[in-house]
Amino acid sequence: MAPVEDGGGVEFPVGMKVLVVDDDPTCLAVLKRMLLECRYDATTCSQATRALTMLRENRRGFDVIISDVHMPDMDGFRLLELVGLEMDLPVIMMSADSRTDIVMKGIKHGACDYLIKPVRMEELKNIWQHVIRKKFNENKEHEHSGSLDDTDRTRPTNNDNEYASSANDGAEGSWKSQKKKRDKDDDDGELESGDPSSTSKKPRVVWSVELHQQFVNAVNHLGIDKAVPKKILELMNVPGLTRENVASHLQKFRLYLKRIAQHHAGIANPFCPPASSGKVGSLGGLDFQALAASGQIPPQALAALQDELLGRPTNSLVLPGRDQSSLRLAAVKGNKPHGEREIAFGQPIYKCQNNAYGPFPQSSPAVGGMPSFSAWPNNKLGMADSTGTLGGMSNSQNSNIVLHELQQQPDAMLSGTLHSLDVKPSGIVMPSQSLNTFSASEGLSPNQNTLMIPAQSSGFLAAMPPSMKHEPVLATSQPSSSLLGGIDLVNQASTSQPLISAHGGGNLSGLVNRNPNVVPSQGISTFHTPNNPYLVSPNSMGVGSKQPPGVLKTENSDALNHSYGYLGGSNPPMDSGLLSSQSKNTQFGLLGQDDITGSWSPLPNVDSYGNTVGLSHPGSSSSSFQSSNVALGKLPDQGRGKNHGFVGKGTCIPSRFAVDEIESPTNNLSHSIGSSGDIMSPDIFGFSGQM
Amino acid sequence: MSLFPTGVAASPRCSLFRWKRKLPNQLGRAKAVRSVGDECSPRGYLDEQFCQVEDLQDEANPNFAEEVVSLFFKDSARVMLNFEQAIEKHPKDFARWDAHMQQLKGSCSSIGASRVKNECTSFRNFCGEENAEGCTRSFQKVKREHAVLRQKLESYFQLLRQAGPAGTATRPAGK
Repeated sequence: MAPVEDGGGVEFPVGMKVLVVDDDPTCLAVLKRMLLECRYDATTCSQATRALTMLRENRRGFDVIISDVHMPDMDGFRLLELVGLEMDLPVIMMSADSRTDIVMKGIKHGACDYLIKPVRMEELKNIWQHVIRKKFNENKEHEHSGSLDDTDRTRPTNNDNEYASSANDGAEGSWKSQKKKRDKDDDDGELESGDPSSTSKKPRVVWSVELHQQFVNAVNHLGIDKAVPKKILELMNVPGLTRENVASHLQKFRLYLKRIAQHHAGIANPFCPPASSGKVGSLGGLDFQALAASGQIPPQALAALQDELLGRPTNSLVLPGRDQSSLRLAAVKGNKPHGEREIAFGQPIYKCQNNAYGPFPQSSPAVGGMPSFSAWPNNKLGMADSTGTLGGMSNSQNSNIVLHELQQQPDAMLSGTLHSLDVKPSGIVMPSQSLNTFSASEGLSPNQNTLMIPAQSSGFLAAMPPSMKHEPVLATSQPSSSLLGGIDLVNQASTSQPLISAHGGGNLSGLVNRNPNVVPSQGISTFHTPNNPYLVSPNSMGVGSKQPPGVLKTENSDALNHSYGYLGGSNPPMDSGLLSSQSKNTQFGLLGQDDITGSWSPLPNVDSYGNTVGLSHPGSSSSSFQSSNVALGKLPDQGRGKNHGFVGKGTCIPSRFAVDEIESPTNNLSHSIGSSGDIMSPDIFGFSGQM
Repeated sequence: MSLFPTGVAASPRCSLFRWKRKLPNQLGRAKAVRSVGDECSPRGYLDEQFCQVEDLQDEANPNFAEEVVSLFFKDSARVMLNFEQAIEKHPKDFARWDAHMQQLKGSCSSIGASRVKNECTSFRNFCGEENAEGCTRSFQKVKREHAVLRQKLESYFQLLRQAGPAGTATRPAGK
């Protein structure tokens, strides 16, 4: 695509590659001429099948597609769906038919626009906006990978499919998967009915730790069997949250639980150190979940978990007093790449995939953030144990794991995990989800803040006595004492969940606290943008928004480009830097990064970025959390500006952190990212003005 | 009536065509265009879209309009032939008829053949009402309009050619 203008050189719309598909040669000729007049790069094709082949061969060969509706070899809508699914390119429908129902059909199938023939020059001159918008939204989506699911799929219907796609998203380039999701939704047509804009730029709900905690609380309160979106929504009482958001989140949550249960058997080896962040993922909440579900964590599993935890993050156990970062590190220690941090904790379900869900194998890789997930699962196990009281060790272990995970991820993650450990009476131990993903245990949910745990003072960690073997949380050397602190907070706040009980005295429980906000915002700051579930952290936005889609593309390699500035990793310079470090793993940057850190842009504490994210604000627990988020948000924003703490996806990290963090990380990012970083940094946060 | 009025007629229909954009040296073309628009039908045979098509001509594409128009007639002739066969083979298959006419309508709109397009629309309306007779009548009208338009445009382009290459090649900047 034509380089986005920010680079200088030709202005973006010029040279934009347009593919026109129409069986009418007259129209093709006229359109082509018009497009050339607009200084676009036009290619015409009279057969939809041939057009598809061309697109498949060269995905990046085109920026936008204009397609007729009525074609002999293939229905225009079908082409629209396929393009959206496979290539995720903006498609503009066109027809002499202006009937409302046909136009509506086009919209429902995901068309960016619908032009009525004869197409005038003025209309063609503006089609570039669709390209930009799509890129921008994709970036945002990636950031909110979690939320994306929510908004996209208002309908809980394709449970598995959606889930899978979500998972895939996280794993791969979020944009791709999102597209799939979107397409799926579009195809189903359900979205439209419920939420016409779901696939489009609707603001996504970011399932932050707190929000997720609230959600889990509500579900626990109702009982997993009786939890219906409407009631959950009422219980949660979060303004702005729609039933559809809850429904989709619930769906994911259920899938997550199911997976956990399925992996129950595999708990013994849950912790396969995920290649990427997933590390804990293997433990993934799945096992834990299953355990939780079963109310009992098989000692084996626990042991396995512990081993894993211990094995991996050696340091993680340091928890006490460590900031989240350390926790995270500990947790993450694994090899999680930086990106792991990103793991949207909230996404444990997906991310942890490694084990549990399979499909998402470590989606975190890209994200690096995944670790959070992994942490999660562990937590769960521990929790499952206690089902309610977080069973002694198991919980602790879980929490440790979680902590570890958290560590890895921006503090946010940890706290989340800790929270997740909260074993609710329902027996579903879900790691506090702080991350967006369902807090594995419903019981756990309490910690909406979940990840925040570390944020808070190491208090939490301290609470967790060495019994926690893994003490993942602390291990990380990250400054994120917040994580721990967060945990501490949790204890204080919620104390509801025994989570911590295992550890040490129930600090975890504190962590588990359902209070979404309790959890140290600090710790998680990086990941979770303060419980703003919907936060689209302004920072992030600012940051990311800047980036011109073009930038992303051009800048980073494809991998990065995918991220389009997603925080996931490859985000634009800034993000990319952050992500790149991790994102390298995941091109998708979005997912990996976005999800997790997505918005938060790699843990500040994290290494790669140079700035440790997350812990930017260790201090105030809740407030810090917020702040940390901001920091986090910043980073991710860089690329995408999304930091909104995607829902569920990677991390709940509120995008807010984007702001603070950005500053520092940007610098780092740029460097870290390398090529992309240079370019990107400006964009993501709008700093360098690359944008 | 002469197809090509000698004077610059400020016919109301002329407003359809941006004749004012045409410089004096393009008068011939302007007149020709206007004449086509002035012809017979209050709505004119061609509409604004045709002007846009013509506007797309430039030095690099001096005969773009003519090329497109001939492309149109070639393709539309084929479509109409298919359509006639379809009518015979699939009587009362309104959906199929509608699809055919949809195709033709799209082509017409691309070059601004407004009258033919309007006939296509009424044909589709008859299809919607499942009025076979109405469809048949309408289709006959479509064919007629199509033939008339072809004739007029052929003359028009001939005139332009007579006006000389300069007439088309150097469209005024204000076009």
